[in-house]
Amino acid sequence: MTANHSTTEETKKRHKHEGPRKHIVAYILSMFLTLIAFASVIGGEINVSFIIFILLMMAGIQVFVQMGFWMHMKDRGHTFPIIGILTGAVVVFTMVIMAEFWAWW
Amino acid sequence: MDWLTTVDHKKIGILYLLAGGFFFLVGGMEAILIRIQLWKPLNDFVSADTYNELLTMHGTTMIFLAAMPMLFALMNAVIPLQIGARDVAFPFLNSLGFWTFFFGGVLLNVSWFTGGAPDAGWTSYVPLASPAYSADYGVDYYVIGLQIAGIGTLIGGINFLVTIINMRAPGMTFMRMPMFTWAIFVTSALILFAFPALTVGLVALMFDRLFQANFFNVTNGGNTVLWEHIFWIFGHPEVYILILPAFGVISEVISTFSRKRLFGYSSMVFATVLIGFLGFMVWAHHMFTAGLGPVANALFSIATMLIAVPTGIKIFNWLFTMWGGSIKFTSANLFAVGFVPTFVMGGVTGVMLAAAPADFQYHDSYFVVAHFHYVIVGGLILGIFSGLHYWWPKMFGKMLNEFLGKLTFWTFFIGFHMTFLIQHFLGLMGMPRRIYTYLDGIGFNEMNLISTIGAFLMGLGTIFFIVNIIVTAVSGKKASNDPWEDGRTLEWTIPSPAPEYNFKQTPLVRGYDAFWKEKMDGNKEMTPAEPIGPIHMPSPSILPLFMSIGLFIAGFGFMYHKYIIGAAGLGITFLCMLIRSLKDDHGFHIEPEELQDKGVKA
Amino acid sequence: MSAHTHADGHLPHEPEKATLEGRNKVLGFWLFLGGETVLFGTLFSAFLALRDKVGEGNPTANELFNLSTVAIATFILLTSSLTSVFAIQAMHAGKKVPMLWWLAITVLFGLGFLGLEIYEFYEYVHEGHGFTTSAFSSSFYTLVGFHGAHVAFGVLWISILIGQVLKKGLNVVTAPKLYVAGMYWHFIDVVWVFIFTVVYLMGKVG
Repeated sequence: MTANHSTTEETKKRHKHEGPRKHIVAYILSMFLTLIAFASVIGGEINVSFIIFILLMMAGIQVFVQMGFWMHMKDRGHTFPIIGILTGAVVVFTMVIMAEFWAWW
Repeated sequence: MDWLTTVDHKKIGILYLLAGGFFFLVGGMEAILIRIQLWKPLNDFVSADTYNELLTMHGTTMIFLAAMPMLFALMNAVIPLQIGARDVAFPFLNSLGFWTFFFGGVLLNVSWFTGGAPDAGWTSYVPLASPAYSADYGVDYYVIGLQIAGIGTLIGGINFLVTIINMRAPGMTFMRMPMFTWAIFVTSALILFAFPALTVGLVALMFDRLFQANFFNVTNGGNTVLWEHIFWIFGHPEVYILILPAFGVISEVISTFSRKRLFGYSSMVFATVLIGFLGFMVWAHHMFTAGLGPVANALFSIATMLIAVPTGIKIFNWLFTMWGGSIKFTSANLFAVGFVPTFVMGGVTGVMLAAAPADFQYHDSYFVVAHFHYVIVGGLILGIFSGLHYWWPKMFGKMLNEFLGKLTFWTFFIGFHMTFLIQHFLGLMGMPRRIYTYLDGIGFNEMNLISTIGAFLMGLGTIFFIVNIIVTAVSGKKASNDPWEDGRTLEWTIPSPAPEYNFKQTPLVRGYDAFWKEKMDGNKEMTPAEPIGPIHMPSPSILPLFMSIGLFIAGFGFMYHKYIIGAAGLGITFLCMLIRSLKDDHGFHIEPEELQDKGVKA
Repeated sequence: MSAHTHADGHLPHEPEKATLEGRNKVLGFWLFLGGETVLFGTLFSAFLALRDKVGEGNPTANELFNLSTVAIATFILLTSSLTSVFAIQAMHAGKKVPMLWWLAITVLFGLGFLGLEIYEFYEYVHEGHGFTTSAFSSSFYTLVGFHGAHVAFGVLWISILIGQVLKKGLNVVTAPKLYVAGMYWHFIDVVWVFIFTVVYLMGKVG
């Protein structure tokens, strides 16, 4: 057994099983965010840049909600997953900036 | 048969070394042919078309099929031993990684025999590589061969990340890991995040070529600069993937043969991580002349120069490690010490290239060729030679011959500088790269001749190394656990070659340079962290071989538009995946009674 | 590998983490998802660079996309992500049968999503938006198609896992496989959030 995992202690301590409530809340939140995103595009005479801003905000928040709750990223023991996904996100962010502003002939 | 089904990291390391070594010879041959063509003006040793194939395959083979596999050889041979583990996290995937690389490499080289190797450069720029200008199959081999080999590399990257994170011996915190392990950790992270970008680029080019997509087809709205962006977002981290392991080797070798603790360990770790991170932020310095504009050029110029800072930290730390140390110039150490000034030379020309306005003159000239050969060959290859001489006893149980080793070093080293130092001046005089010949009377003649002679010397040095391997195999001196007598890290606490199970008992680590710490406290061995007991080992499997063959077949099928064959190949691969998932592999146990006798037969 | 079992013989609390192999698989898969992030990110970048290159006479994004179809697809995938959460919760509670039902429902929703997407692509091709039509179309089909391929693979994978659990039961060997498949399924829903935002919604807005 390596010295580097702590699940033995975790297993003994937290025996209560998480109910579905948090996840259902996350689901409703996701639906809500999605709805706002769709609504901003379909309805009304809103400024295009503002719509895009809303869309990106809604997407961003929804990603946090889904990854935090459904993928347990808010729970302990997820240091490396967080580092992994964040690094990937940073690389992607750099690429997207490139694509939006610099990829032309 | 054992070698076809092994999942043992030590054997897989040897397989990588054999395959990588073989492809190194192939790439070296391509280099010799290039240099023969260029030794005099208006030579007709090879045609222009063949020359383009040679230069493309030389670059592609050396980077993807020789350098990276030889690094994987060292990673596989050493990392589990250095962290006190019994294997990597995913032994089956380890084997799969090897076989996919191997068949990707074979596929790439089959192109020589089927009517044309890739000939659009190792960077395969569009529109040259697009169907409009490269209608034959060469670039298809490039696109598909590299996708298959790339899968192997990605698998290996994830494997080593998980191994290093989850499987260190008790007491080995991150800041007690050997420097080579740190280097591989950062390298593996770079592999994980860089190779998917290459995959997308290759897929897009493949779709353009095979299915008439329009990613890079300007007529229908495609963008050729997009290829350059995607390729170099992969390509720049790739060169750091190549050099960071070499940095790791140098840290180990210099420290061991100076009998002195590595100077500035924390700053070394920090510098390695910073180089890795910055490596993703500088890709457009390959595109200064592509028309991105002054703002982009300025930003990337500065970011590129920044990387010199952590690299400089490392150089100074190596020098300070040697200062005041009791230095032994074994072959391994010669290569390591030779690395330092050579790499610095390559690094400073890199800073010159980083100045965007100056680069407008250097771009696509032999100055660039000189720069990257200095850092890749003078850096990485010297590092690999150093690592091989250093860890050969642990891998094979015998010491490489020291006299032949020194002969290898001096021949290769002198040959290397002869070949590439002069190319800086060729570039400054205006000789463009990737040209198959040049006119008489421009002043290029003598320098090209010298460069070619140097290349032959490098070839000779390589031959000396091969002779060394053969002589050692036949009559080499057997190695003890700690053949250099100054081993500082865990791999030197176990027999040479390492037994099948690595450690009879997982060691307890009490500090950095774990073995040296025990030695300084008067102990001959490590304190065990567990009692002797049966050791669980993973079972061998033939599936990785078949999965790779499946991909190989599929590649041909897609390339030649025979989709039934393509589907069949993929079918084989998926079937093997299914079998692997359904059949539980419980491994086998080595009982305590057997622990004294088992050893790896190389 | 010795497995953690409790005195009363039940599955440990987090069975996927109870063995070294399990922990390795979970961590390895997280890292793989990091790589997949870059993979999809590159596809997104290519799409962003090429999304205005529709070509003369071809239908634009605004003309092509039907938001109600996209909304339904989104709802289906989102719900399937929730059902996969319930499946893993059942796994943690050691309840094999409810877990299998939730997984089956997830698969069904996944198939529904795929069916909708295939129908959608079929319509587009008939409206003059094919794979080889323009740079925009090539990058559209590659990005959205790769996502669809990931969904299809996930559907296949989870179905096979259902079969495996039926045969071998829920234990510390099958648990990491299920957990990892659940992670995969959530990830492709996260990717879809970006697809419907960047491709469809922003496409409608221009």
